[in-house]
Amino acid sequence: MTTMISDLDIPGSQSTPTIHSDWQGGRLTMRGDSYPENSYELFDQVIHWVRHFLTDEQRPLHLELALVYLNTSSVKAMMDIFDLLEEAYETGRAVSVTWHYDARNERIAELADEFREDCSYPFAITPVRGEP
Amino acid sequence: MKDKEDDALLAQVAALLDSPEHVGHPLHDALQRLYLHHCDQQVQVQRLIDISDRYQSLAMEARQVTEQRYQRALRRQRKLSRISDGYQALMHERNQALHQASTHDPLTGLPNRRLIIERLEEFVRQRRRFTLTLLDIDHFKRINDCHGHDVGDRLLVAITQTLSATLRDYDLCARWGGEEFLLLLADTDRNEARSIVERLRSCLAAVTLRAGDQTISVTVSAGLSQHRPGDPHQTTLMRADQALLKAKRAGRDRSLSDSI
Repeated sequence: MTTMISDLDIPGSQSTPTIHSDWQGGRLTMRGDSYPENSYELFDQVIHWVRHFLTDEQRPLHLELALVYLNTSSVKAMMDIFDLLEEAYETGRAVSVTWHYDARNERIAELADEFREDCSYPFAITPVRGEP
Repeated sequence: MKDKEDDALLAQVAALLDSPEHVGHPLHDALQRLYLHHCDQQVQVQRLIDISDRYQSLAMEARQVTEQRYQRALRRQRKLSRISDGYQALMHERNQALHQASTHDPLTGLPNRRLIIERLEEFVRQRRRFTLTLLDIDHFKRINDCHGHDVGDRLLVAITQTLSATLRDYDLCARWGGEEFLLLLADTDRNEARSIVERLRSCLAAVTLRAGDQTISVTVSAGLSQHRPGDPHQTTLMRADQALLKAKRAGRDRSLSDSI
């Protein structure tokens, strides 16, 4: 018996990313800029959701990211999420990340690559023509 | 070696105590108690050593765990700083690009109205002497109409290159409108400005551009106004504009100064 927690459906704004989770599909999407006034409040929900999914479910989890600008606390939150995925992966869980970036902005790909450094699970960084 | 000697001594004492010939000897009882006391002490010492070793190895493990945690935290912190610095640099570059885009003309790369007006306001605030010159390419519309906007654009770029090469470093030249340029000649009175502008006009008249089998060249009209201390920059601009209008009406290909 699994305890399903409610999915996230947070509309984006100029300073916050659009966040959408799909428990049934095992997917989490985040796109846009992230420099919210209170990053912890925003990301705590995401980290909570990821932790619950990885604990309660045995199904694969996939992250679809199209994040552009991240402030320091958002960078920290993303590192925490990637660490959770790494821990799960080390216990044999199927987890993966795809980070989409605007092909005109190669710098975002370089930064995504820095995030990927300590991750041994599948982590793709793929260019998108036009807006991601 | 020491242990072996100790064991040998103890074995010897035990053997002496056990031997029936020594029973009743005045030292027998005292030696027996000393022997037992020693054995007791030895057990105690061994227990202390064991406890101490266990404690030390626990402390060592704890230290290793702390050290590992510290190294991991340090590594994370460095990664965080590195990525965060990357985003900051990205933002800084974007700001610079935006600033450049908002203050410069994309075709010619010259400062736009916004930038030169900022500079004019500065000059007025600092009570610096300057002369403004509005330059206008004569019959530019004809070039656009006859050869297309592409040729018109190329001509504007060629004119800009000559303008930038001819002006002094401390002058500022902006693209004011379609084929109009505004020169801010710093620390310059109108007589000095006049000779600069005349030299500039002859350089610009020598600019040629190939369009198909034709060679295009243009003349330029100019209106000058020396800033009057205390005037807002708008007044000086208006006077330059009026001088330009007069130069146009007088038959173009000339420069005229607004009287102070």
